[in-house]
Amino acid sequence: MTHAKRANVPMDSTVSSLACHGLEKFLGEDESRVHVLRGVSLAVNPGEVHAVVGPSGCGKSSLLYILGLLDRPDAGTLWIGQEEIATLSDDLLSARRNEALGFIFQFHFLLQDFTALENVVIPMRRLGGWTDDEMRERAAGLLDAVGLGDKADRSSRALSGGEQQRVAIARALANDPAVILADEPTGNLDTANSDRVFALLKDLVHRERKALLLVTHNPAIAQACDWVHTMRDGLIVDSAWQG
Amino acid sequence: MTPASHIALRFTVSRKRSLALSLVGVIFGVAFFILTQAQTQGFERYFIQTIIGTSGAVVISDRFQSRYTSFSEPGERVAEDVMRSRGQGRRKYYEGITNAAEIMRVARQFSNVSACAPVVQGTVAIRSNFTSEVLNVQGIDLDAQLAATALRSQIIAGRIEDYRSSRAGIMLGSLLADKLQVGVGDTVQMSGPDPKPRTFTVAAIFRSGNNIIDERRGYIDLRAAQALLKKPGLVSSIIVKLRDPDRAPEIAAHFERLFGHRARSWQEREKGNLQIFSTLRLSAGITVSLIILLAGFLIFNTLTMAVMEKIREIAILRSMGYRRVDISLIFLGQGFLVATIGSVLGAGAGALFTYLVSLIPIKVTGFFYTDRFLVAWSWQHYLTAAVIAFVAVLGASFLPARRAANLAPVATLRGSGQ
Repeated sequence: MTHAKRANVPMDSTVSSLACHGLEKFLGEDESRVHVLRGVSLAVNPGEVHAVVGPSGCGKSSLLYILGLLDRPDAGTLWIGQEEIATLSDDLLSARRNEALGFIFQFHFLLQDFTALENVVIPMRRLGGWTDDEMRERAAGLLDAVGLGDKADRSSRALSGGEQQRVAIARALANDPAVILADEPTGNLDTANSDRVFALLKDLVHRERKALLLVTHNPAIAQACDWVHTMRDGLIVDSAWQG
Repeated sequence: MTPASHIALRFTVSRKRSLALSLVGVIFGVAFFILTQAQTQGFERYFIQTIIGTSGAVVISDRFQSRYTSFSEPGERVAEDVMRSRGQGRRKYYEGITNAAEIMRVARQFSNVSACAPVVQGTVAIRSNFTSEVLNVQGIDLDAQLAATALRSQIIAGRIEDYRSSRAGIMLGSLLADKLQVGVGDTVQMSGPDPKPRTFTVAAIFRSGNNIIDERRGYIDLRAAQALLKKPGLVSSIIVKLRDPDRAPEIAAHFERLFGHRARSWQEREKGNLQIFSTLRLSAGITVSLIILLAGFLIFNTLTMAVMEKIREIAILRSMGYRRVDISLIFLGQGFLVATIGSVLGAGAGALFTYLVSLIPIKVTGFFYTDRFLVAWSWQHYLTAAVIAFVAVLGASFLPARRAANLAPVATLRGSGQ
C-alpha cells in the first residue's frame, strides 16, 4: 500500500461522481453560532473509497449531510456528476438523492414495519419505472449479494444488527446510485460483522465502479480506504492517497 | 399505488390498535349521523306528504285588489310584467273565487300542474244523537278532489262509491266521528248561516293523520256546501296538485301574478312546522357530528404520536429521496384510510340501523298518523356523513402530516448518530 499526500482540492468535476468546492456551513445562531465547515473541497471518483476521519465535532457529519443533499451549505459549490446542484429546489434535491445517492447510517434505520426485501424496495418505489415484480426481483438479487437471500421475507425486527446493516447496504444500492455515503457504517457492529460489511462495501465499489465516502472513527477501516481525509475544526487538513 | 400510499397502508396496519379506536369513532359517527338524518327526514317527508295529500301543493284563494281584471294566458309576458310591477305593496283581499272554472282551466295548462280541485268551506254546527261539535265543512267536487288529493287513501271506513251514490252524504274526519260517536250509515244534522238543519248520512270516515283536520273537517258535495253556507257560485279555494311539489313557491308566485288571487305554496303554509323539522335535523346532525369530531381528535393524537415515533423513519425516507409532500401524504394517507374505511363501514352500519329502526312499532298522532318509525332513504345522508368524516379526519391529520413533512432529517440523523 502506498501512502502519498495530495492537495485538498477537487478533481475535475466532469469525471468525479461527487465533488465540492469551498463548502462553508454555520450551525446555531447568535452567540452559539459555530463555523463547522470552513471551505471544504474534495472530489470522489468512480471506483474510489474515501474515508473522512477526525475528532468529534470537526464537521465530518455536517460535510456528509451536505454532500448527501440533506443539508444546504452556506457557501460553496457542489456537483453530482456534471450537475451543479446547490441551487436546486427541495424536490429536485430529493430526486437527486433518490437517483444518485445511497445512504448507510450507523444505526441502519430500517423501516421496522417492513420486511428486509420491502425495505430494499422502498427507494425503488420512489424512483418508479419498475413493475412490482421487477422491484422485488432486483431487491432479492441485492439481498442475495449481501448474503441475505434466504432472509428476504423476514421482518427487519427479526434480523441481527449485522444483518440489518447488510440490508441497509442493499437498500443503499437499490437504485444503482453513483455515490454511496456512509456515516459510521460499521460503528454499531462487532469486529467480525464490521469487517464483513466493510469488505462487502469495498468490493461493491471496486466491482461496480461506485464512489464511496464514509465517515469513520475506526482507524483500521480508514486505513483500508483509497483516500483518507483528515478533518479538524471544519477543514480538511490532510488528504492521503493510500490506493 | 403510489410510494406514499404504500407506506401509509403499512404504517396504518402496524398501528391498527391505536387507529382502531379512531376508526370505531368514525364508523359510529357516520352510522348515527345517517340514522338520525334518516329518522328526522323520514318524519318530515311523511308530514309533507300528508299536508300535500290533504291540502295540495298550492292553494289559490281570495282575490286581491288589482287594476287588471282579465286573465293573462301563459306566455303573455308583457301583461304579467305589468301586473308584477303594480303588484307590490299592501293589498286588499276579497273573499273567495268567483271564476274558479276559468282559473282551473288556465292552471291546468301549466305542465307542472297535474290536477285542480275547487273547495268551498265554512264553519257549521254538526249534531249527532250523542253530541254537537263545530265542523269545518268543505264542499268538494269528488272526482276533482280525488285527483288533486290523497283522499281515497285516507278513507278508513266506508267507501268513496257509497259517498258518490248517496244524495246527501258526508265524509267525516276520524276524530270528529269519534267525538260524535257516529259511524258509517249514521245520520248527522248540520246548520250554518242557514239555520234550517240539513241531514247528511255518514258515507265514509277518513284519517289524514293531522289531528287538527281529523277532529274538525268533513267533506260534502260542493253545491250542497254552497247552499249550506249561503255562498252560491262561490269557491273558497282551489287545491292545485303539482307533479314537482318542490317548485310550489315559484308556481304560487306565478299564479298570484297571473290570476290576481292569493296563492300559497305548501312551504309557505307550513313554514313554522317545516322549520321545526329543519332545526331538529340540524340539531341531530350537529350532535352526532361531535362523535366524528371526537374521532378526528383521536386521529390527531394517534398521528401526532406516530410522527414522533416514526421520526427516524421519516429522516431515512427523506435520505432515500422521498419529498416533503411524500412524507405529508404518508400521514394524510393514514387519515384517508381511516376516513374511507370508517365511511364505508359506517354507511353499512347506518343502513342497517336505519332498517332496524324502521321496524320498530310506534304510534304517532298529531301532525300525522303513523304506526311505525318513519325513515327516509337518501344517498345525500350517506354523502354528507362521508364528507363530514373526511373533513374531520383529514383536517385532524393535516397538522401531524405537515409537521412530519417539515421535520429536518439532519437534526434527527445527528441526534441518532451521537
